[in-house]
Amino acid sequence: MIKVQNLTKTFVSHIKEPGLKGSLKALVKREKKTKEALKSINLEIKQGEIIGLIGANGAGKTTLVKILSGIVHPTSGEATVLGFKPWERQNEYRKQMSLIMGQKAQVWWDLPALDSFLLLKEIYQIPDKIYKNNIEFLADTLMVKDQLRTQVRKLSLGERMKIELMAALLHRPQVIFMDEPTIGLDLSSQRAVREFMKNYQKEFKPITILTSHYMEDIKELCPRVVIIKEGEFVFDGALSQIQRLLGDEKCLSVTTKENTFKVNVPRTELSTKTAEIFKTNEVLDLNIHDPSIEDVIESIMKHGMNPK
Amino acid sequence: MNWWRFVVANEIRKILAFRSDFWVTFLGQTLVLILIARALWQSIFAANNTEVMEGFTLPMMTLYYIIVPIGNKILTGENVGFLAREIYDGSFNRYLVYPISFFQYKTLTYLTHSVFYALQLVLIYLLFNFFTPEGITLNLLANLAAGVSVFIFASYVFCMLAMAIELISLWADNIWSLMVMVRFFVYFLGGSYMPLNFFPDWAEKILNYTPFPYLVSLPIRTTMGLASSSEIQQGLILLLSWAILFHLMAKLLWHKGESRYSGVGI
Repeated sequence: MIKVQNLTKTFVSHIKEPGLKGSLKALVKREKKTKEALKSINLEIKQGEIIGLIGANGAGKTTLVKILSGIVHPTSGEATVLGFKPWERQNEYRKQMSLIMGQKAQVWWDLPALDSFLLLKEIYQIPDKIYKNNIEFLADTLMVKDQLRTQVRKLSLGERMKIELMAALLHRPQVIFMDEPTIGLDLSSQRAVREFMKNYQKEFKPITILTSHYMEDIKELCPRVVIIKEGEFVFDGALSQIQRLLGDEKCLSVTTKENTFKVNVPRTELSTKTAEIFKTNEVLDLNIHDPSIEDVIESIMKHGMNPK
Repeated sequence: MNWWRFVVANEIRKILAFRSDFWVTFLGQTLVLILIARALWQSIFAANNTEVMEGFTLPMMTLYYIIVPIGNKILTGENVGFLAREIYDGSFNRYLVYPISFFQYKTLTYLTHSVFYALQLVLIYLLFNFFTPEGITLNLLANLAAGVSVFIFASYVFCMLAMAIELISLWADNIWSLMVMVRFFVYFLGGSYMPLNFFPDWAEKILNYTPFPYLVSLPIRTTMGLASSSEIQQGLILLLSWAILFHLMAKLLWHKGESRYSGVGI
């Protein structure tokens, strides 16, 4: 179980004015800027649950993942994962946890994956038989059997991500943190990773926190969604609840001679707004439908819980 | 501690991963070093019209300058920035996630590189002496074994020093210039640029209170058979004291830095 109470993280960075003058000034005096990446957040996740953590860039998703995986200390507040304080980095905790970062390789680039896996086998003290079974299971399911003996740096982005997944899951972790695992992958690789994670979650039931900018990942994998905006949770609930948040609105998708745009309109103003659009544009196509999950989330990320 | 073995094995695999780089480093550099050292010091001795300079004959001086660059490589193991670079680009995160001590992991990878360069030293040393009138004697082999051991131990001490300094990058993003400066001081005051015999007496005396001569000059002199056994023993004890001090410094900086580490990277 993951339990987070009033967790806050503040980062201090330095500001430098642009240009040579700014660089010279910074040599003598630097201004500090404090940013609250997480503002007293609370969260509970049960064993076997997978949640989607979504938010704009810089909203605090990765900071939360880094704190829960023990990389970063919080400024204040409490968090326990499987009963451990992550930032104390006890080996008993680290043996049960895994972190996958889509933008950062964990395996060693200059070596074939199997060499990295052998080292991980020793680091996590995985017995021979379980190691062999896990390698076979993961390589088969992810379809990377032929890539295990090639230097990781020579693999395609999609293949590398699959290798990262294998490395992270070799020791069958009970807690998995996935930070944008499908970033930069083509559609078929994204689908393969999603399908794999879906089946893995079903079979082994770890606690999983997934951050992603791709709504397909969230829709496919996460029955529960947490939306974070400027370090605060603005929504924590079932994915199915999200669409209902804009229940009194309709979305107009309009294609004109010049461009295509979408606009959310209260049901009561639907006819007025539609007439106005026809009057002011040369409309080629117009669709009236319920706002999609993406529309609602985008709206929440922009305007908070009073989406417009 | 079985993972130690695999860390070393992986590091060796990494060194051997690039065939051309391996052979150029291992053989090419070695032969070039012999030719340059020989030509340079032959001209210097001829210009000064002397056979001995500060106790060094031409073959001794040539050997000294052959040992220096390889010795520096043994000393700096995985190279300057081995930790700071990973902290800067974010790959350091993996040591915080894996259930192992990052201190042990990085020390092992560092020393693996040192041992690899030590093998290079053995090869070049034997090659050089093979063509001398005395040839390869038992005494020479004993000096070589002692020299390589002192080099590896000095490399461990330098690793602790480098770790202590590079951990500063946990909160100060870029400490590259500091590391370059430290390396320059170690090389210059340790005797890499010229043997310490060329320094004034007072400077030599002051230097004995610093770790520098024990990191560079002592292992070279041991390899060449110029250091007495009591000098080696005393040097090793001093190196051990410096190792403990640097290790404590590194631990202190780690405790200060780890809570301020932001885990950002490229």
